[in-house]
Amino acid sequence: MTDDSKLVARALEGDRKAFEMIVRKYEQPLTSYLSRMTGEREAALDFAQEIFVKAYCSLKSFRPAYKFSTWLFKIASNHLIDHWRKRRLPTVSLDQPIDDGDGPLMPQVPDPAPSVARRFELAEIRQRIERALESIPEAFRELFILRHVNDFSYEEIADIKSLPVGTVKNRVFQAKEMIRKRMAGS
Amino acid sequence: MTTCPRAEDLYLYLEGELGAHETRALKAHLERCPACREALADRRLLHEAFTSLPPFEVPPDFALSVMARLPEPAEAGWLAPLVASAASLVVGLLGFHLFTGASLSDVLVAVNRFVGLVIARSLPLAAKAFKVGNLLLKVASDLVSIAIAGLEVFSRSIGPQGVGLILGLGVLLTLLAIFGARRLLSLGEKT
Repeated sequence: MTDDSKLVARALEGDRKAFEMIVRKYEQPLTSYLSRMTGEREAALDFAQEIFVKAYCSLKSFRPAYKFSTWLFKIASNHLIDHWRKRRLPTVSLDQPIDDGDGPLMPQVPDPAPSVARRFELAEIRQRIERALESIPEAFRELFILRHVNDFSYEEIADIKSLPVGTVKNRVFQAKEMIRKRMAGS
Repeated sequence: MTTCPRAEDLYLYLEGELGAHETRALKAHLERCPACREALADRRLLHEAFTSLPPFEVPPDFALSVMARLPEPAEAGWLAPLVASAASLVVGLLGFHLFTGASLSDVLVAVNRFVGLVIARSLPLAAKAFKVGNLLLKVASDLVSIAIAGLEVFSRSIGPQGVGLILGLGVLLTLLAIFGARRLLSLGEKT
């Protein structure tokens, strides 16, 4: 039994301190994900609270055979989808071809474009990535964040999003190239 | 690898997600392709930035604010069943009153009489069951003490060698029975 599973078991027995430990462990990864998905600090904190409450109320449905982090982020991802659906924001289907207005998204190397990253210092690259990230479709942004901000494996992301691993790998790659192209254009 | 690799493979290589065969082929290609080396260096910098984006700064009281929003756990144990029973009784009484038209005080008197009758009938029965149980226990304890006394007399009459012999025979018979049973089971599996 993992540490998370033990904490969940204790929380199910009514030990609220155990659930507080879960919150403290996951508050940063969850808000890092949500802030980049919503683009708003306060909204990210509100969503994170709602997601932790939702997770607490559904703790009985958690199976210790699975990773708690994957289970929690599945709740978070579904929470965001529900929110966007209610607000009727346009969403991008992962099954549709992507046209971001800059031509096809399957570049081969060697790329004739000059080096994008080496023009900047690392800190500036990070800032430019954050700005570029805000402009890419949310379905691609989410997979990129889960992979590189939350450090989930491709298999875990596939589990969270109920997608084939190959699709996840390809979409994360497309997200990276979208970011790179936007950086080159800025 | 004669043709240049896909950009996707460069990222997978940097993440350590490329298979061993593909990694060898990519390395061999990089040695003779300056354009791909350049592309890889660019992606390496990007990859480094992707994997070191700053985390969100969470307010120090965030966890406490989450805990304040959690619903209170339901009182465990006796309270919930007690409340449910009381509620069922009230609903039952009201239902009876509505369907039969009898006044609530009549219903309560009737319920009281019924409960009294049940107790009056069940108490003598419970007392008889208790007496019979007590008698059975006494008989069983007498039987056990007679058996122990008989064993003591028997062991004294056959002496310590006889007791040892009987114990040895008992162990031998038990082992033979276990061995025989295992053999029977294994034969069953083979067939």
